[in-house]
Amino acid sequence: MSTIRVVIVFHNRLLRDSIARILGKRTEFEVVAAPNSETLSLHEGIEDLSDVLLLDSLEYLFDSARQKLEGWSSRAFRPLLLAMEDDPSLFLRAVRRGAWGYVLQDASAADVVAAVRSVAQGQAVCPPQFTRFLFEYIATQTEEMPSSSRRKRWGLTRREQQLVPLIERGLSNKEIAGYFHLSEQTVKNHIHRILRKTGVSDRLGIGEVCRDSVSPIGTESSTQPKFEVSRVLS
Amino acid sequence: MSVIRVLVANRHRLVRELIVASISDQPDIQVVQEIEHESEVEDAIDRTQPDFLIVTLDRNSGLPEFCNLILQKRPQMKIIAIAPDRNVTVFYWASLQVKSHPIEASEAGVLDALRGIVRPAARIQ
Repeated sequence: MSTIRVVIVFHNRLLRDSIARILGKRTEFEVVAAPNSETLSLHEGIEDLSDVLLLDSLEYLFDSARQKLEGWSSRAFRPLLLAMEDDPSLFLRAVRRGAWGYVLQDASAADVVAAVRSVAQGQAVCPPQFTRFLFEYIATQTEEMPSSSRRKRWGLTRREQQLVPLIERGLSNKEIAGYFHLSEQTVKNHIHRILRKTGVSDRLGIGEVCRDSVSPIGTESSTQPKFEVSRVLS
Repeated sequence: MSVIRVLVANRHRLVRELIVASISDQPDIQVVQEIEHESEVEDAIDRTQPDFLIVTLDRNSGLPEFCNLILQKRPQMKIIAIAPDRNVTVFYWASLQVKSHPIEASEAGVLDALRGIVRPAARIQ
């Protein structure tokens, strides 16, 4: 069995040392570095460093910090966030920023060990209660981000594209306004412009003319699951 | 050899387990109990008679209020507070009033504080 190489970047050295100690007791892991978050730059030049990168904050996955991390690891690292808040929106931000795993504050040390192992094996780690948010997020993205061909064909703005699936689903202007935190008048204006651009006479026709477009994941929009989309996704 | 009795209080299991893992291997240190809720701390102190209480500092704030009350009511108690989101650990004790001193935010720093050797904080790797 090959050794799983781990780098730990934590704000607090005590917790960082403790995780290193827990992993170090198992022969399958090698903690190759545990730099202070403030001294990441000292480790530039360390190459081919880790299989799994343990982080205690999402901030490391934002651009400036990420450049630092990538600067000292020539391999594509797999970030695993530990001791994270029980917050679905934070979890989705982490996923969007390239996290491979998200372990909550209420997990156990044994859960951490299992998560590192899973990520090293190429699996993603997600708290079970957040799986639903992933499904909802993907469904929302599919519905709210029509294909570029649709955009090119009709010249719809991003907001107008976002309105189309809701119009198709028969939502009223008031409901759409509530969904996007807009005024009803703004929604009316958007729909008026969509009607003008697509050349159809009423809102029922908007769905029909836009339905021809291929959805981003290659499925018919009418067969996609319909979820009540949580506000945390916005 | 006298044993140093430590009570660990933190609402998050992972942080609690990591703190315990960092000190429990020491022969002269005994973790007498781990508790999740601050409301249980006073009872746990009465029951286990610890020398030290280890807690975590809330994000962007100081020592939790219940710790101040504990120090005022029980001046023999000493508290080590760890900031999980910063490289900060602080040693608190009471002597007429609550006093504090930053210590090295490392396993060695905490062990020294538990053993009565206060290792000053320094910017460390």
